[in-house]
Amino acid sequence: MPTISINLKDFEQLLGPNALKEATAGRNVLTAGSLEPLLPLVKGELKDQDGDQGEVRVELQDSNRPDLWSAEGVARQIRIKLTGAAPTYPFFGAKPQGKRRLLVTPGLEKIRPYVAACTACGYAVTEAGLAQLIQVQEKLADIFGRKRSTVSIGLYRLPAIVFPVTYDLVSPEGARFTPLGFDEKMSLREILAVHPKGLEYGALIAGHDRVPLLRDDEGQVLSLPPIINSREIGEVRVGDRELFVEVTGTDLSMVVLTLNILAVNLADRGAVIEPVQVTYPYETALGKSMPTPLDFGRPQSIPIQAIRDALGMPLESSQIREALSGYGCEVRGAKDKLTVKLPPYRNDLMHAVDVVEDVAISRGYGSFEPVMPSQFTVGGLSRVEQMSDRIRDLMVGMGFQEIIANILASRQELVERMRLAGSEWDRIVEVDNAMSLTFSCLRQWIVPSLLRVEAASTRSFYPHRLFEVGEVAVPDETEEFGSRTRVALGALIAHATANFSEVHSSLDLLLFYLNCPYGLEPISHPSFLPGRAGQILLHGHAIGLIGELHPEVLEQWQVTMPAVVFELEVDALTEKP
Amino acid sequence: MDPHAQIGSLHPLEIKVLIALSQHQALQSRPLRQEDIGHAAGLEPSQLSMAVEWLLAKALIRVESEVVTPIASLSKVGERYFEKYAPIERILSVVRDAKQTGKRVTIQDLQVREGLEPSEMSGAVGSLKKEGAIRIVAGGHVEATGAPSPLTESLRTLLKDLHGAPRELHAFPEALRRVIEQYAVKRGNPNEPFRIDDRVERRYQLTEAGQDAARVIATQGLGDEVSQLTPELLKDGSWRTKRFRQYTISLRPPRLSAGRRHPYREFLDLVKRKLVSMGFQEMRGSLVETEFWNMDALYMPQFHPARAIHDVYFVKAPTHARNDMVTATRIARVAATHESGGETGSTGWGYHYDRERAQRLVLRSQGTAVSAHTLASNPAVPGKYFSIARCFRYDAVDATHACDFFQVEGIVLGPDINFRTLLGLLNLFAVEMAQAKESRFLPAYFPFTEPSVELHVRHPELGWMELGGAGLFRPEVTLPLGVEVPVIAWGLGLDRMAMVALGIHDIRDLFSTDLDMLRTTRGHF
Repeated sequence: MPTISINLKDFEQLLGPNALKEATAGRNVLTAGSLEPLLPLVKGELKDQDGDQGEVRVELQDSNRPDLWSAEGVARQIRIKLTGAAPTYPFFGAKPQGKRRLLVTPGLEKIRPYVAACTACGYAVTEAGLAQLIQVQEKLADIFGRKRSTVSIGLYRLPAIVFPVTYDLVSPEGARFTPLGFDEKMSLREILAVHPKGLEYGALIAGHDRVPLLRDDEGQVLSLPPIINSREIGEVRVGDRELFVEVTGTDLSMVVLTLNILAVNLADRGAVIEPVQVTYPYETALGKSMPTPLDFGRPQSIPIQAIRDALGMPLESSQIREALSGYGCEVRGAKDKLTVKLPPYRNDLMHAVDVVEDVAISRGYGSFEPVMPSQFTVGGLSRVEQMSDRIRDLMVGMGFQEIIANILASRQELVERMRLAGSEWDRIVEVDNAMSLTFSCLRQWIVPSLLRVEAASTRSFYPHRLFEVGEVAVPDETEEFGSRTRVALGALIAHATANFSEVHSSLDLLLFYLNCPYGLEPISHPSFLPGRAGQILLHGHAIGLIGELHPEVLEQWQVTMPAVVFELEVDALTEKP
Repeated sequence: MDPHAQIGSLHPLEIKVLIALSQHQALQSRPLRQEDIGHAAGLEPSQLSMAVEWLLAKALIRVESEVVTPIASLSKVGERYFEKYAPIERILSVVRDAKQTGKRVTIQDLQVREGLEPSEMSGAVGSLKKEGAIRIVAGGHVEATGAPSPLTESLRTLLKDLHGAPRELHAFPEALRRVIEQYAVKRGNPNEPFRIDDRVERRYQLTEAGQDAARVIATQGLGDEVSQLTPELLKDGSWRTKRFRQYTISLRPPRLSAGRRHPYREFLDLVKRKLVSMGFQEMRGSLVETEFWNMDALYMPQFHPARAIHDVYFVKAPTHARNDMVTATRIARVAATHESGGETGSTGWGYHYDRERAQRLVLRSQGTAVSAHTLASNPAVPGKYFSIARCFRYDAVDATHACDFFQVEGIVLGPDINFRTLLGLLNLFAVEMAQAKESRFLPAYFPFTEPSVELHVRHPELGWMELGGAGLFRPEVTLPLGVEVPVIAWGLGLDRMAMVALGIHDIRDLFSTDLDMLRTTRGHF
């Protein structure tokens, strides 16, 4: 989840004098050291710092709390806790000025249906403020908005805009403007084809004969959402005092929530937010016309007993209410039930349990005394693990060194070097989006993993006796997932005179102690020398292979010693005949 | 020490040397050189030097005098130069030929033509220039001046003299000696043609104890000494008349290779045993999973960032699991939960759930998938479960990232499960798994738990570290799978602890392919 930069001086301003005093024990100078103990309130972790002052980087874990992905948001949550007072944002529910309108053109419902916008005046953008604006815009559009697909954001200089603004739909040749980062006017088609952002995000609006466009009443282009802003109107600079903010996207509640977050962030810096009335030609979950920002969250009714049960603490109703309002929630209480409403910049209340965590964080995890779960349960290992452990003991007793290998391997190792290409044994589970060929398939048997060790250890003194008891994936069309996960034992002996009879002795002794009366049946298998390979049979079923590895296999692995192996399915040994 | 007892511990080689020295000393006063001893005692040089070392250590002989003589010889490089000429000879010859035929050569020409390393090249050209045998003219051309190159000539003389026949350094005149010394192999400069090795000539004499021992040997004889008890000696009882040579037991024994568990396995076994002792039952799962079990059942929405192509491995073929009725019913319940909360009392994520995608096959990316299966298969209540599950992540492999690793995860179900018992369980883990005396809980985020906790402990060696994450499964996870009681989901990050215990610094070494490393890694558990 996002890691954000915070300027501590800027953060002091955002905390305000009372919270700063509280946070710094009266010293009024915030350091990384004094910030760190407060970060559990926002599920934040201090990643690094530039001196004890200056910049810090904080990782925010909660992907359902995009309101915390900025200095403003982190400061707000901490400020609420330290001062006990939640800020009020009167612009939620205010009536937009007559002209502050944004009109949506028909047809956008098929491409990028939703938009929300507001204005922010009276705050002269500072350097630190601009850095946060850019950062929150990036984090919200990139992570919350899934690389701008569900949410993207534009910021503009308000004085240049003549209302009403239209969220329009035009042909790619239907408008020209100078995009950020370029010096001349380009058609929308050119921007999509040439501009780096066009190349990066163009796919989001491709496949239609028209593209979305924001323009004002005089036809000036604000931006081509979600690609790029106009250079003339859409470049905010330090010192700007009047801003227009818009969010477009494919998910209405995410679009409105994003605007709400931007609005409260700017308001926390002293801007006066004025809503904009957005009017659609089509129906939305919030109606055809709505002012934005908009507090669309609904109060949830939660039984107090559910909170007590989940926390394991007989908290009083008043204690729970105090904890929740001290964390920024609106709480109204009856005796048995609380009605909780999250602030308009949050939309993460899906279930009563979400309130439980807010209570716990607000009171502090340290305030809950741990209690041991008291109920008795019997521990134990699975049958296959018990069998694996017995086998490991026996193999170790016979002088074999255990290995643990990656289950991911390459087709070359699992099939080609084993001379299995084109044979009935060449099917394996392959990865569609492998990062490297080395780790692109699940092994279907253990022997290649042993050979990987053998090939890397030719200078280690001989004899080599290796084994692994581990998982393999065997392709099988009759299985629900197209393959079976099995535990298999593979064993390898390599030295100058290693031969069939030696490895057969090991297999024989192992299966003797495991009480498995087995038989061998000659098999012609490409990995082994002809006439020196067998199928291991148990109760008439083939459960494994044994033999001298084919010299060509050894050559392919660049192993210079004779090597003999056996492999068998451990699961099969746990089954009673 | 009593000479009689000492003789019992002497090796036959030592006795031969003692006898040879004492016989010699009886006749002549000048002490013997090592090679003369070998001759007198009839020993190979390697046997002799072992015996001499042992006797010196026992103070039965001492070094009477030591003369060090430097010996010059050709290194491998020198022998090659003798056969194929040294770079300096080759360069001079090419440049002189060029002068006669009127051609022009550059340094690059020389280097390419003669196949020389840049370092060889610059050294040789530098020496020739310094001597005035060549000069570099405009355009980087190398020209012979016609002046002789004494260095080149000395080099050839020496290569001939020393070829196959090392000689004392002092046998050479001063000028040649300087050339040998300048071009001798030194530390950090192994590619020189000459070697200078010190030949050490030592003379040895018996000490007083040695003389006593030799006297005892001479007067009493060695008796019938044997080195090894044999079945025959036991059978006929003749061991009674034998003397058994005493061993020097402080010598290092020959190396063995043992059958052995993998050191990481020893660590995992410890973890396994701990969990079983705390009442946890082991769960097993499949390496290949559906997105449904790997994520949907855990209430991770299908648009969750951790589900993107860059985080999870997708299976190439078949791409989807086969449909069956049981799965379809299960998917329907989870789909309703994602879309609108279903019967869980949740609002759900509010998006259109793609049922086809639920069946997409992936490699298990989290051990919690195994827990999801257990929740859906009538788990015991109360119940405790764990798995040590191999998981796969789309990650570039380096010292701190593996694409294929073990996750230790599990669940605890029961009517008494709540936030405080969750903390209690984590406290137990802190003590049992990390022997931590101090631990603390921090709020955390996992898509499938609420509340969520991170457990941080003060590890005796690592300091404060995150040991694990846990939480109470959301009702959106448990209810659709048919579990009505609260459930703890927990996971432990033990790899860092394992690495400290095994003394390794690269996560790839947990699955090392180096047999030497496996044979020599010891755990400090």
